[in-house]
Amino acid sequence: MYSIIVVPPTTTEDERDRTQLRLAPGERITFGRLARDNDLAIAHDGVSRRAGAITAQGAFWTLSNLSGGQTYVVENPEGAGEHIKVGPGRLDAPVPFEFSRIVLPAAGDLLPIQVWAPRHDYLRTEGGLAGDTTAPAFSVDRTKRYFAVLAALCEPRLRGEPHAPLPTVDQVVDRLRPNWPAASRTSVQWNIDYLAVKLRLKPGPEEADTGPRLNGKKESLVSLALRFDLVREDDLIVLTAAPTGRVAR
Amino acid sequence: MTEPYAVPVPSGYRVGAWEVRAPIATGAFGSVYEGRRTGGAGDLPRVAALKFLPTGTDTPRQLAHLRELVEREIDLYRRLTRPRLIRMYETLVVDDPARPRLDGATVLVLERAQRSLADLLSAAPRPAAGPALLAQICEGLAQLHHAGWVHGDLKPANVLLMPDGSARLADFNMAAELEGTHAYTPAFSTPDYTPPELLWAEIGERGRRIRPSADVWAFGVLAHLLLTGSFPLPGGTPSARRDAAAAYARGHDELRLAPQLPDAWREIVRDCLARTHADRIGTDALLRRVEAAAGTGRSPKLPRAPLPRRRRAVLALVSAAATVAVAALGYGISTWADSGTTGGASTSGKSTSATYGASELRTDKGIPVQYRRLIVDSAHDCLQHEVSPALIAAMLKTESNFDPGLSDPTAGGEGEYGIARWTPSVLRWWIRSDGIPAKKTPQPPLTPAQSIPAMARYLCFMEPRLETSLPGDRRILIAASYRTSYKKVNAAGGVLPQTRAYTVRVAHYLKEYTPPVKK
Repeated sequence: MYSIIVVPPTTTEDERDRTQLRLAPGERITFGRLARDNDLAIAHDGVSRRAGAITAQGAFWTLSNLSGGQTYVVENPEGAGEHIKVGPGRLDAPVPFEFSRIVLPAAGDLLPIQVWAPRHDYLRTEGGLAGDTTAPAFSVDRTKRYFAVLAALCEPRLRGEPHAPLPTVDQVVDRLRPNWPAASRTSVQWNIDYLAVKLRLKPGPEEADTGPRLNGKKESLVSLALRFDLVREDDLIVLTAAPTGRVAR
Repeated sequence: MTEPYAVPVPSGYRVGAWEVRAPIATGAFGSVYEGRRTGGAGDLPRVAALKFLPTGTDTPRQLAHLRELVEREIDLYRRLTRPRLIRMYETLVVDDPARPRLDGATVLVLERAQRSLADLLSAAPRPAAGPALLAQICEGLAQLHHAGWVHGDLKPANVLLMPDGSARLADFNMAAELEGTHAYTPAFSTPDYTPPELLWAEIGERGRRIRPSADVWAFGVLAHLLLTGSFPLPGGTPSARRDAAAAYARGHDELRLAPQLPDAWREIVRDCLARTHADRIGTDALLRRVEAAAGTGRSPKLPRAPLPRRRRAVLALVSAAATVAVAALGYGISTWADSGTTGGASTSGKSTSATYGASELRTDKGIPVQYRRLIVDSAHDCLQHEVSPALIAAMLKTESNFDPGLSDPTAGGEGEYGIARWTPSVLRWWIRSDGIPAKKTPQPPLTPAQSIPAMARYLCFMEPRLETSLPGDRRILIAASYRTSYKKVNAAGGVLPQTRAYTVRVAHYLKEYTPPVKK
């Protein structure tokens, strides 16, 4: 029932797989330097003892800045520089982004805490109405990179080959590069992992087996997306090169 | 607010024996028109509701999922005719290449209702007939659940009112047939009527797992709305109410029902809106209480499902002593009440598949992880505690060494196949969770998902039929009956000589797979 995921910063190299924290609406975590006082400890001398709090509010979240004098910046990594500032002492500032990076200025280092809000709702093309209509359980933002990744994964099958092999991560990177010059294996992989969270993919029983787990995840994503028409043939337009004005560089 | 019709059909359009008249309603998936019969067979009514679903190949958007939804609905209508469910007379497919948007559309010819409960509520909130309508809606749910189906989308728009004012359930796009304790429905829902455990629930490739208790939750919401004019959970928008439902389910908030709700109904709504699905009232007990509260006569007692498979009722017995009498009345399980201790063994749904059911099935003895969930869940669907996960695992090990591809065409008269070595003509009787034999004999390959639950059902059927005077471990006698039959085991007064080697192996693995400390 969680609606918000907090991904703690990596303070040391070997701490790559720190647990993500999942918050249900109304739940709150505090973060700061001391593990004793906070739900999420950020062991860095430049961070306040009680630095702030994150509260899940339905599908979005709010940030409280509990520090004495630092302004926190919440960036939208896909927003071309879009960000909000939360000054010291500000409580429960609402954050509208689906992906956010809270940057804590800490004695010269910048420690990013990622916060995902995968339950944001979007209007569907059918013109989704009030809460009384039967609605699909998924809501995707067609302007986000994850949607382009999903479209690239679904492309061979949408082009009329129902059993076509799925593109590899490298092929997806190549496919997306014209519109997304910075695409890389890692960023595509990150988006695949995020999609699995967002679409609430249930790990299949065969995934517990050995074998290429990654492949199972891609396969499940594509079959879910096609089964529920999350990506349709006319959505493949996101893969074609954008008008010249928008291409970076 | 005018909505675009999902399928525009001109008035006067002819499809089959029907002429399309005025539009009635449009929903997320299709549009309904009134139809008037212009000829055709005499057993069809003069007017009907024509539900057009855009399944054609040339419709603007080729909706793959729509086809599945349509098939679900048609499947249910074909197989279920119950007094409180809208009837389907026939299905037609539009063949009209000149109209590409209509060509290929599926048309369901349905019983014509006067209006929907949603229409009634928007015209007159808190109708005087509310309690009687609720009794009829609940009766419809009980008929559906007894037939082994879950509605999945109960709400006022899907309850139709007939000219005589009686209510019937309709719109079965989300309905699903139970497989054991669960069914799989497409991942669609109406937020205000969705139980908290399905909010943002995990979705597998087969869709979302749903239980009959989801309909019970929706019924609780509907009852509150019908009797008080407001939703039971606070909030001005569906998303605010969704968050309130989530907070309530996590125990952060109490249920505060409207004060004008009469006491008898307050208890009913409260039991429908229990935080967890296991605490919710069973459909049969609910029906009796709704009928008592509504002051309507008792509906004729529904026939019991042919196989004992109602574990949920036992859980209710364990958790809420107060409902014992009612639940026993509904399910006729009073004789099993003393075996209810198995209820405590159910494992948390959160555990991963590798440790799934670890309290009843060892994790370190080479039982393939991918079958644990099937084995444990199938055993839990049986109320006889002898039919345990360890017994099923031991039998699968002995039968096939967990080989799903086992194929032994020469065994017996017609061969044995799959992980549980089923003889297909016998499997036919046990393959369906509702106890009805399959129409056709299943053909190999037989998947573990078919074989294992069917094995549990068959064992569950035989256990009470084995005489209690037989000597030896009952679990071994059950295994021996699987190889021969319970009649042969009863007649021989125990394990037959030719199955002795088999039962020795089962006994060995049974011991090996059972965790050392029982509970």
